[in-house]
Amino acid sequence: MSDAPDTTAVEPNPLEKWAISLADRLQAEGAIVEFDTVRIAVARDQWVETIIAAREELELFSWLSAIDWSKDVAVGEGVAEPDELVERFEVLCRLSSVQSDAGAIFVTTLSKDDPSIGSLAPHIGGAEWHEREAHEMFGIDFIGNTNLIPLYLPDDFEGNPLLKSYPLISREVKPWPGDVDVEAMPAKDEDGDA
Amino acid sequence: MTSLDMIHRSEAAVSVELQTPDMTLNIGPQHPSTHGVLRLVAKVDGERIQDVEPVIGYMHRGYEKLSEVRTYAQITALVNRIDWVSGFANEVPFIIGLEKLMGVEAPERAQWIRVILSELARISSHLVFMASYPLELGGTTPLMFALREREYILELIEEVTGGRFHPNFNRVGGVKPAYGGGSTTKKQSMDLPQGFFQRTSDAMDRMDTILDQLSELATGNEIIKMRTVDVGVIPGDKALEYGLTGPNLRASGVGYDLRKADPYLTYDQVEFDVPVGRDGDCYDRYMMRFLEIRESSKIVRQAIDKIPSGPLQAKVPRVLKAPAGQVYSRAENPKGEFGYFIVSEGGKMPYRLKIRSTSFSNLTILPWVLQGQLIPDLVAIMGSLDFVLGDVDR
Repeated sequence: MSDAPDTTAVEPNPLEKWAISLADRLQAEGAIVEFDTVRIAVARDQWVETIIAAREELELFSWLSAIDWSKDVAVGEGVAEPDELVERFEVLCRLSSVQSDAGAIFVTTLSKDDPSIGSLAPHIGGAEWHEREAHEMFGIDFIGNTNLIPLYLPDDFEGNPLLKSYPLISREVKPWPGDVDVEAMPAKDEDGDA
Repeated sequence: MTSLDMIHRSEAAVSVELQTPDMTLNIGPQHPSTHGVLRLVAKVDGERIQDVEPVIGYMHRGYEKLSEVRTYAQITALVNRIDWVSGFANEVPFIIGLEKLMGVEAPERAQWIRVILSELARISSHLVFMASYPLELGGTTPLMFALREREYILELIEEVTGGRFHPNFNRVGGVKPAYGGGSTTKKQSMDLPQGFFQRTSDAMDRMDTILDQLSELATGNEIIKMRTVDVGVIPGDKALEYGLTGPNLRASGVGYDLRKADPYLTYDQVEFDVPVGRDGDCYDRYMMRFLEIRESSKIVRQAIDKIPSGPLQAKVPRVLKAPAGQVYSRAENPKGEFGYFIVSEGGKMPYRLKIRSTSFSNLTILPWVLQGQLIPDLVAIMGSLDFVLGDVDR
């Protein structure tokens, strides 16, 4: 993550220049620009400070979420190269400017052993629900968010549905009925008696 | 007289004093003002709300998880069910992001068609607001006016896409060859139904007349003004902190519209104004939508003038595979910024799809804005935020 755009030796375009200077100003770990999307890598212990500082120029709190980078994939497709994957969580927070088209996604990495991070909710009111969602969907702890009760899921729900290892219950009950381009038809992969 | 009686009497004396101790009031999930299944647990002191905790998730369908087991082509059918009042507008940011990821550009005609249908979706979404909001404030007649007009707009959307609510009309690299489908490789490719532009143009003319009528009926109405002016004021900085976008943000004086700030499709080629409010109260939020319908009809007229002829679909591979990468794309949905963060690992399905749904963010401000308000104003404030529960719960 920290090795910023080293893919090309050509002159960085204006967006890349802006992203690198934003990362410098915030003393972040690096910037990645991909498909016009700016991602700023932030150290986990600098998370809250960096986001608060970034809101000076990117005022709009847009969303907060997470990605589960995992080798254990219950449904859907896994990563392209599982052998090289470092299993981890990424927490993302997008801020955007309301004066221009500028915006950036701030990314920090959490280890699977200790998925906890400082909460933005005491500083940015809008973050509370987003953190509650990430908490129930991924099992990430937001230290300082005092209201981490389930948001979407029933109170007695067990598990974190957006983890890659979490099965899709409806598929367990009934195989995919649609076209074969998603998953093999049940009749075809097991001796025709599914 | 025993001492026991004395205690009893003294207690009775206390209760005679008018007291309104904290009471917890449960509103919803089945309540006409909640636009679906939203539950509010309100702590009230008399008529005043001290604290409110919205309970959502009654309609959680898990679209982010479901998207991980769908091919890219199948996901568009899912996403236009998120905010069903403006189904077409939900597809646009997803398909733009996907096209960016795959390096495909839709032909210009397809882009203009997307603009026209997005604006028709905006008009129909705002008309639902025009219908339901006065109803919540006690006026039933505007409902009839607005819903009747919306039906004409839905008919236009239906004749092009085949669906009133869920068009599923966008394809990577263009739009579905319209009206009955058919192969794009054949000499005579399919196009929009004959006379569509004329009918759309007529509908826009009628829209202006209807807006004048609605204006007389509702906008200038004294009761509506009394119920909405200076009620539920959201200052600009609070709106930004809670991630409000769209008309709700612009009502608070922040003139932020993605069609201007970060133009997509062909929005940089049309002229229109972005209405901006001043006070951030319910009345401003109402007026934003009212004024935006006129701007949308302006955009539709210009689009009809400017749309070039040509193909509806660029050449794309039969099996859609997106290269590895992460892209965030957003568009101005009728309710605000609608975005998708697509994480691709090079396969046929996304590794992760984060859906930034508008109403969810717009609703996060509810506990803040309802604090200290009166219970009758609760309905006025909630209605003015114009959320759809499908969009909140995803």
